[in-house]
Amino acid sequence: MSLTTLATQVLNGVSFGGLLFLVSSGFTLIFGLLRVVNLAHGALYLVGAYVGIATYTATSSFVLGAAAAAGSVALLGIGLERTVLRRVRGRELSEVLLTVGVSLVLADLCLALFGGDPKQVDVPSALAGSVTLGGFAYPRYRLFVAALAIALAVVLYVLTQRTKLGATIRAGVDDREIANALGVDISRVFTGVFAFGAALAGLAGFIGGGMLAILPGADVDILLLALVVVIVGGLGSVKGAAIGSLLIGLIDAFSKAWIPDLAYFTVFAPMALLLLLRPSGLFGKAA
Amino acid sequence: MPERAGRRRLLTTVLVSSLALVAIAAVPYTLSTFSVSLVTLVVAAGLLAVSVNMLAGELMLVSLGQAGIAAASAYGVGWAVGQGYPLAGQLLVALAATLVVSAVYAGMSLRTSGIYFLMATLALGMIVYGLAFRLSTVTGGENGLAGIAPPAPLRQSWQFYYWSVAVLVVVMVAWTVVQRSPFGLVLRGIRESESRMRSLGYNVAAFKFAAVMISGFVAGLAGLLTVWHSQFVSPSSAGFHRSALVVVMVILGGAGRTLGPVVGAALVVWTEQVVSTHFERWPTALGLLLVVVVLWAPGGFVGGLEAARSSLRLPAHSRTKG
Repeated sequence: MSLTTLATQVLNGVSFGGLLFLVSSGFTLIFGLLRVVNLAHGALYLVGAYVGIATYTATSSFVLGAAAAAGSVALLGIGLERTVLRRVRGRELSEVLLTVGVSLVLADLCLALFGGDPKQVDVPSALAGSVTLGGFAYPRYRLFVAALAIALAVVLYVLTQRTKLGATIRAGVDDREIANALGVDISRVFTGVFAFGAALAGLAGFIGGGMLAILPGADVDILLLALVVVIVGGLGSVKGAAIGSLLIGLIDAFSKAWIPDLAYFTVFAPMALLLLLRPSGLFGKAA
Repeated sequence: MPERAGRRRLLTTVLVSSLALVAIAAVPYTLSTFSVSLVTLVVAAGLLAVSVNMLAGELMLVSLGQAGIAAASAYGVGWAVGQGYPLAGQLLVALAATLVVSAVYAGMSLRTSGIYFLMATLALGMIVYGLAFRLSTVTGGENGLAGIAPPAPLRQSWQFYYWSVAVLVVVMVAWTVVQRSPFGLVLRGIRESESRMRSLGYNVAAFKFAAVMISGFVAGLAGLLTVWHSQFVSPSSAGFHRSALVVVMVILGGAGRTLGPVVGAALVVWTEQVVSTHFERWPTALGLLLVVVVLWAPGGFVGGLEAARSSLRLPAHSRTKG
């Protein structure tokens, strides 16, 4: 394998990992605080993608498309948390089953509203084309996704570790009851974090639309990858999601290049192995 | 007084079960071939749902990858048919595939519980799906394997129907016996408190492993019925959607209830096959139904019936007391 192909595969892995981080960071934030395994996260990704594409087509503004994707899915998240999930708080299995029901509904409504044809985001000219990096060309958009993921990681770090809001959220993660007793309106924090996590899923859908096709079934694909990432990294840990995304992104890129016959297997096998050896993941707290 | 009540209950049970038997036996005589085939599909799907319900009811372990085990069995038969093996060979290959895949699920159950088991089985199901998709020399890839006919005495739709019902009934009766056996009691003990059972000296790991293996075996049987019914298997039979629908069946029917999975399978298959011809948005209907059941009727359809019956009985009961 030449150095150029090696570098291309590494960049492919890093940029795909970046997209995975956009999806899985929201998933893991929601789990970390609310203890909800949100199996509707993939459907939220799909909704965000379709709404974003529709807005982008109507306004031809990429930024507006992204804002619409994140905003609409955040509202959807607030609705879900307030009307449905809240009623079964603390009953893990009921919560998971509810999100399965919600994902069935959302995915089917997307099919009804936006059809079954694959859609894609036509990347704006500023992000289109490729850049030449030391002798080989690489798509600019993929570098943009990787940069966006790194920026998000920094923002999330500062937000959770350096602000009062972040301290409140961390307090809620560590001990809901005590945080509540200390005067934190934990229910509002719950809704806020769910909305934020959902917004990230919606944004990821629109951003992902520039890299992957958006079509029925894409929700399940991305959900499963996000699950793998957070299980490898440790459920609830943002740091784990970052490292897991990078790892799975790289594994995916290299296995597609080297052993395309087993591409699916190579992503899920490490997860199964890790669950067997260390069920709490690389950075998760022991259950 | 209690003796008479007991005799009355026995009489009702005998009456209800003989009515059910007559109804089951009458299906091929009264319904069209299409409907018989549909009921058979319900039975096969119901059997897979029963296998999920075994673990959900006794151990609170919800498998979101059970279709993976059924698919392993189906692919086993399909491959053996392609190799020209006789029936016994086909069944052996199916059994081997089922047991190997089940053992992986069972091994996973030792390390995980609750939502972690759910996600682990989801991943395992997707591994089976991925392998079915990619190992095209064995599995036929995206096109799957076709021409997997049941043995000659089961080729007619009514023959296959009776055979499927017989398998389902035997499994359900056997499982009811197991539930009441010491083995079943230990499982329920593990569900209530794993650590307490461990300190009582029970080998919790061995019991969990055995329970998942039994459930996997039943899932394999369901895979066999399904593939003989459609005479075809493709990767989607192992997919997330399939496994999720099976869990939906269990929840709609009533998790932990003996008849729940079969009732749930009837609801889901009917929605999927019949409602879909009139109403294109049937997944929406199914999703909403799941949300409604989880929120307002956690006992599912069968649990709701039980509740209705006991509320009807209550006045009579209070009368004898007063």
